[in-house]
Amino acid sequence: MRLEPLSEVRRALPFLTPALLVLCCVSLFPLIQGIGRVFYAYRALTQENVFVGWENFTLLVQDPTFWRAFSNSAIWLATSVAMMFLLSYGLATMLNSRHLHFRRGFRAMTLIPWALPGVVISLTWRYIFLTNGPLNSVLSAMGVANPPAWLTNPGLALWTCIIANIWMQIPFVTIMLLAGLQSIDQQIVEAASMDGANYFQTQTRVILPSIKKVVLIVLTLESIWTLNSFDIVFVLTKGGPGSASITLPLYAYQNAFMYYQAGYGAAIGVVILAVLLTAVVLYIREVMD
Amino acid sequence: MRLHPAKKILLHVGVILAIGVLAFPIVLLVFNSLKTEVDIFASPMGPPTQVTWANYRQVLFETSFFTNLKNSAIVAAATVLLSVIVTAPAGYALSRFRFLGRTVFSMWLLATQSFPGIIMVLGLFAVLTAYSLLNTLPGLIIMHTSFSMPFAIWLLKGYFDKIPVALEESAQIDGCTRLQSLVKIVLPLSVPGLLAVATFSLLLSWNEFFFALVIMRDNAHYTLPVFLSRFLGSGGVVQWGPLSAAALLVSLPVFLLFLLGQRYLVTGLTGGAIK
Repeated sequence: MRLEPLSEVRRALPFLTPALLVLCCVSLFPLIQGIGRVFYAYRALTQENVFVGWENFTLLVQDPTFWRAFSNSAIWLATSVAMMFLLSYGLATMLNSRHLHFRRGFRAMTLIPWALPGVVISLTWRYIFLTNGPLNSVLSAMGVANPPAWLTNPGLALWTCIIANIWMQIPFVTIMLLAGLQSIDQQIVEAASMDGANYFQTQTRVILPSIKKVVLIVLTLESIWTLNSFDIVFVLTKGGPGSASITLPLYAYQNAFMYYQAGYGAAIGVVILAVLLTAVVLYIREVMD
Repeated sequence: MRLHPAKKILLHVGVILAIGVLAFPIVLLVFNSLKTEVDIFASPMGPPTQVTWANYRQVLFETSFFTNLKNSAIVAAATVLLSVIVTAPAGYALSRFRFLGRTVFSMWLLATQSFPGIIMVLGLFAVLTAYSLLNTLPGLIIMHTSFSMPFAIWLLKGYFDKIPVALEESAQIDGCTRLQSLVKIVLPLSVPGLLAVATFSLLLSWNEFFFALVIMRDNAHYTLPVFLSRFLGSGGVVQWGPLSAAALLVSLPVFLLFLLGQRYLVTGLTGGAIK
């Protein structure tokens, strides 16, 4: 078929117009406006927004809280995505087994946390991790003398949030990976084991490459959602104690809506955007190959 | 291939353990909603020693629950409707026309997923203020629609790809316009896809917190997730009983709809990803 791009544009345009309209109004235009804010700062003395050039960025690199949020976000992103992938992959493999009874029922149950609002999930985990809450009551019963204060211990607060985030994302990742696993021809897997491949080799050389596309889209989407995630840290610790568990989106929110430094908040947002766009570009290049 | 009985038992134990971990927090929530405040901390893990409905009564009759429920329902319903109206033609265009800029459009859709909320909110303030949409439900509806669009368009394109073009061609020979063939032939054949989009955008809108928090300025306009977060107050004592009851009441409607729609959602989501 010969391509006729221009006449095709004319035919496609009426169908695309509503979507383009929404995209321009609430995606393209706000993005440009929002990025534009990084060059302005609010001066409390004169109560006005003034143009300050790159000042927000020079302040940012000297701000220890920003670097704290940056390294916290790096830990938050890497640990969450790696753990949720490994756990979900294990669960999906088990759910895919022909030897499992009640497969359909188990699969449906796996999805349950997905339907709950993030705020509900965060609140529930906040309760579980309370110093006098369920988790510590179990630990005490098991003989742990001084169970930790999960939410208020500076060394633990971030990890507590990470556990809640992993729990929340497992259903989506599991279902996507399971769908990938189901599409694999079992004969290929059996052929590999007959050729003498051990379990680990079968997983890394046969199964993972066959579901590469699903793995890539899941990793990309989860990286985006995890780095942008706001609910969990906001509800569990509000970034505290101090700034022990602060992440980039939360620090940006605090600056923009609590300290009235919208430009500074936007500058943090631009840092997040830069990281994520890199991930998206890497994904697109990988998929286009 | 036979599996060793011990391994088979291990497999079942593993799955049940995993699902237990996934379900346990929800069980706790149910327990807490039926406990008295004293009971909650006296036995944090166990079932209620004495079932009380006081928490539910308090949420339903002594808070703004119904106002916030109404807001959430309006926003979610409008988001679902708008999402379908906007994304069905766009998905159709991506599936049927090889137009210039098609790849750019698809990439832009994926890229919008990565835009940080904070930048979008700061930028949107200008737009929403200009059109007096700040602190209004329509403002939030348009936002939620834009969030659900990339996934919805991608999902519907996958569905439309599977419908033979020949069906439409014969209709077009009989004088059907492109729009008519979309509405009369393609859409009725894509009902599962449309249900998947509806379920997805409903979940997204009902559960969305950040934008609902910053765009709305007073309780009369808050949606349910913001209503819930207000139970935490600012550092005071949290009433876990009523909070758990409220959390369950907020989750219940979407949970039921999710049970009805999850089949379509799962096939819709995964169908696009595997090809």
